[in-house]
Amino acid sequence: MFIDINCTQEKKYNQNAFGDYFVSKRRPGRLIAVLSDGLGSGIKANILSTMTATMLLRFIEAQRDIKAACEIILNSLPVCQVRQISYSTFSALDCTDDGDVKIVEEGNPQFIWMKKNGEVMEPECKIINSKTFSNRHMKTYHIHLELGDRLIFCSDGVTQAGLGGDNLKLGLRRKGLIDVIRNKLKHQSDISSRELSKYIVEYAKYIDNKNAKDDISACVVHFAKLRKLCVFTGPPYHSEKDSEYAKMFAEFDGKKAICGGTTANLISRELNREIISESPFNTGKLPACSSMEGVNLITEGILTLSLTYEYLKDEESIDEINAATRLMNLLLDNDYILFMVGAQLNQAHYDPNLPIEIEIRKNVIKKLKKVLEEKYTKRVEIQYM
Amino acid sequence: MSKIQVEICMGTTCFIMGSESLQELASILQRKHPDKVDTKGVVCHGLCNTDCQYSKAPYVKVDGEVISEATVEKVLTVINEKLGEEAGNLK
Repeated sequence: MFIDINCTQEKKYNQNAFGDYFVSKRRPGRLIAVLSDGLGSGIKANILSTMTATMLLRFIEAQRDIKAACEIILNSLPVCQVRQISYSTFSALDCTDDGDVKIVEEGNPQFIWMKKNGEVMEPECKIINSKTFSNRHMKTYHIHLELGDRLIFCSDGVTQAGLGGDNLKLGLRRKGLIDVIRNKLKHQSDISSRELSKYIVEYAKYIDNKNAKDDISACVVHFAKLRKLCVFTGPPYHSEKDSEYAKMFAEFDGKKAICGGTTANLISRELNREIISESPFNTGKLPACSSMEGVNLITEGILTLSLTYEYLKDEESIDEINAATRLMNLLLDNDYILFMVGAQLNQAHYDPNLPIEIEIRKNVIKKLKKVLEEKYTKRVEIQYM
Repeated sequence: MSKIQVEICMGTTCFIMGSESLQELASILQRKHPDKVDTKGVVCHGLCNTDCQYSKAPYVKVDGEVISEATVEKVLTVINEKLGEEAGNLK
């Protein structure tokens, strides 16, 4: 089983920095995540929430006990001189691979625990009062998740979306949010955390008349079956092993992608499956994709991989649909990614007459692994062939 | 009459050596000869690698005939010749 976690955020309208901050880290068998909402908005809120979340994440990681770590923050977070409330609020999560979850909340809207069938669980919480601030307390939960369960954390930008509007005088609130999620799950029960969190944020923005009145963040945790992807790129160094590796690729239990023209031809030859080219029109900056029976995507090799890396690194929403965005979506919608990387070099790529420098495949894959692991908490393995 | 098959190589070398601009060729051909010419991209002809020292990418194949250092004009000339030939055959 696997924890699929993703957070989508939106800035308050007219602000240039996010006031909420989300950070997560995967350790062997364990996942830690913190969502913090800084007081106010813009740069000030951004600094406060970033500080709270990163400190808390490190505390939890070091202490091995989420409660103790959160208590330190609870007792030490400064109070705003003007408003007499905490500088920032937070939700923290410590989750093991077998579904044992500890949650601590301070000030953020209560999380939603939704079962596969849409039923919402209301677990008991323990309240811990701050030793230094009488008006401050945190809630702790200890729950056990089953396959298909989801946890939804959000900042008050979601629950208060639409506040004061014509339809929702009190805003969306937790109850409204539950209905929104339930409706979405009814139509798309296996939706990924990335898509669901995006949907929640888009919905909140929409009922705020498309200009977010506060920073909006939604974090979705899905205790799901491991989604696997294998990316085959580059011909194996020893060509006599082609058929062996092609067979391994064919037998891989999960989605499949091929990056590279020569590689696609190799697989086509070994598995005796035809390559079907897509239209070469309007493919943007990259060569067109192709398809093959049993393979989800075939792209050109190194240029597509390099651009995919740039997209993943910058994380900006890209409107253009090209080979790299398609590969990126495939990578992001899977939790475990195996790169099968052939070590054979294409001599033509090192011709000094080429107008641009072509990166070395191995290096691009290494960079992809790093960004996928660190930024998107994916599990990535590389097999050199 | 079977259509003339134009295959534009979409491999890395060919793409950066100019097959990107050959996408234009695809739209020209579709406009000019929609029922005589079939244009498609192929993953890689593998030609850049066999003769890498003298690589003449981008490569385009017209009915299996290789055109090296292909440009829109070069490919159009070959196609026009072929069409002329076939028109001649019909007479």
